[in-house]
Amino acid sequence: MADLEIRDLTVEADGNEILRGVSLDLDRGRTIALMGPNGSGKSTLAYTIAGHPSYEVTGGTITWRGTELNELSPDERARLGVFLAMQYPVEVPGVSVTNFLRTAVNAVGGEELPVRTFMERLRAEMAELQVDESFLQRSVNEGFSGGEKKRFEILQMALLKPQLAVLDETDSGLDVDALRIVSEGVDRLRSPELGVLIITHYTRILRYIRPDEVHVMSGGRVVASGGPELADELEEHGYERLKTSA
Amino acid sequence: MTTILSDLDEGGLVARGEAGGEPSWLLDRRRAAARRFVGQAWPDSHVDEFWRSTPFDVRFDVGRAIAAATAAAEAPASVLDRVEGGGVLVRVVDGALVDVTAHPDATAAGVVAMDLGRAAVEHADLVEAHLGRLTTSGDGTGSDEDRTVSLSDAAWTGGVFIHVPDEAVVDVPLSVHVHVATPGAHLPRILAVIGRHARATLYLEHTSAPGVDALVDEVAEIVVLDGATLRLASVQDWGDGVQHLGLQKAEVHRDATVRSLAFTAGGATVRLRPEFDLVGPGAEVRPLGIYLASDGQWFDLQPFVRHIAPRASSDVLFKGALQGRSRTVFRGNVFVGRDAVGTATDENNRSLILTEGARADATPFLEIECNDITAGHGSATGQIDARHLYYLRSRGIDRDTALRLIVRGYFTDVLEEAGLPGVTEHALDVIERRIADADLSAIQVNDLGLREES
Repeated sequence: MADLEIRDLTVEADGNEILRGVSLDLDRGRTIALMGPNGSGKSTLAYTIAGHPSYEVTGGTITWRGTELNELSPDERARLGVFLAMQYPVEVPGVSVTNFLRTAVNAVGGEELPVRTFMERLRAEMAELQVDESFLQRSVNEGFSGGEKKRFEILQMALLKPQLAVLDETDSGLDVDALRIVSEGVDRLRSPELGVLIITHYTRILRYIRPDEVHVMSGGRVVASGGPELADELEEHGYERLKTSA
Repeated sequence: MTTILSDLDEGGLVARGEAGGEPSWLLDRRRAAARRFVGQAWPDSHVDEFWRSTPFDVRFDVGRAIAAATAAAEAPASVLDRVEGGGVLVRVVDGALVDVTAHPDATAAGVVAMDLGRAAVEHADLVEAHLGRLTTSGDGTGSDEDRTVSLSDAAWTGGVFIHVPDEAVVDVPLSVHVHVATPGAHLPRILAVIGRHARATLYLEHTSAPGVDALVDEVAEIVVLDGATLRLASVQDWGDGVQHLGLQKAEVHRDATVRSLAFTAGGATVRLRPEFDLVGPGAEVRPLGIYLASDGQWFDLQPFVRHIAPRASSDVLFKGALQGRSRTVFRGNVFVGRDAVGTATDENNRSLILTEGARADATPFLEIECNDITAGHGSATGQIDARHLYYLRSRGIDRDTALRLIVRGYFTDVLEEAGLPGVTEHALDVIERRIADADLSAIQVNDLGLREES
């Protein structure tokens, strides 16, 4: 049994069926790229794994290391090691970055880290991701540029040390330099203890983070699966041919 | 001597004033105010524009006797206890000035903090010039005062006089702590004069003993002279049995700056009027407010800014959180007189409805007689945003902790801007306590943004 096992998953949002029977396996230590055109259901799958309340699971299962996730709250999932790097991280006014990160790290780690230890870890990770010190004085995502928001997501991933990381279009909206920093940040975190699900519309992030497998979604289903070469093929021919052949 | 509020006794008032050694000009003013009082009726919420939101006869019980001073009533801690090095503390308990704790920095700067009746003799020039001037003037800067203010003019007890001399820079806070330990009516009165180019911090603290039923009719007049800088806070920490009528009126002169915070968390009914008359060119005020209303509480908050002089600016921001069957009214008034060219004014109110049954009304009100100005206003009432909650929970933070972070965060901007030593820490504690006492499972979340996202 794979660490993450998704079986025949169907999901609705606002009464519309978006996922129509998705099955996918992912083991820790491996990296999967999930590609597909806009509206194919990639982000819905990401949110559903992370327990977003707008998505209703109408059938199928998501199992993480033997635990059925469907009945768990988003915070319970996070404490089991599930992490979603969001496509559009929300601004939370008045909640300071430092306080937020410390509360999250303590919640996921299950112990109260001494402030000094936490700050040392935080500063070290910030340096790796070239995040400016001034972040610490700001509110969560408030006034962050698109690139800063994405970098902040990866900073959280680095601090929370998840076992399953879902990156929802982390590459979108990033210029070349920002993409490199973020991708290298993720690559650095790869380990035998971490499974990574990269959701992307484009192939460029995959040049930095080489996936073990590539799956393609369309119309709420996985329509093609293969090795890294599948991404290269998509780069060359686009999604059109896949859709028609599916 | 006690007096029934509904039947104010002029002779009794004068006799009491004489016994207290008050000068004749002060007795004359009490007499004149008592006559005004007799000629006026209590506010009628059906008729009076400014009373429309709060039914006077339901929320305020004027059938009370004026409480007499009691010996050695203990007051709870002051916010100054949280300030390193402390400050000047004037304690008023049950209508009597109990003691003044001096601070060497303030003493060296020449700060006066003393009983108002005594000051009427010892600082007659200042007190005679200013006392009652902001409550009774008829030259357009007066606020057309009703009977609740005439009552204070006539019958105030436990008055406090604060004077910061010209060019004095006083960094330690000066606090007037009004504590109510005895049931009945209480009439605290404060007169503060902040001299030219002086800098000071003034707190008005309000507490009551547990279970005490009382009506507090308070008037504070604060004169901020040319080029002075004042940081002002009024902290309403009353118990459940207190009804508070508060007029806290500042007159702000040329190039003077006032930043104020009205922090309202306690009391059965609080009707607070932080008012600012901008009478000198270049005057600047930043009236801030935070309110936390729980089951049974009714807060009617009426900041009022009058732009009389040109090129003055004002920017009002009040934020609140409500739970249980509570009610808040924000009526923000801005008046721009015909000479007030170059005025810049803005007023905003935001309320967070935490649980079902609470109601927040907002009425920003502008009256403008002058064309060459910039003015804005806005109000919003909403619930906790489900997107914020989801984001925090997706990082492993449980729902209750996430809600605490969000509600606390909601007030962060106001608290940081107010930056008042002692008051800020106290306010944060009260906010934390309110959230801790709240039924977090009943907190409503607005998932509109969440749906749009999906």
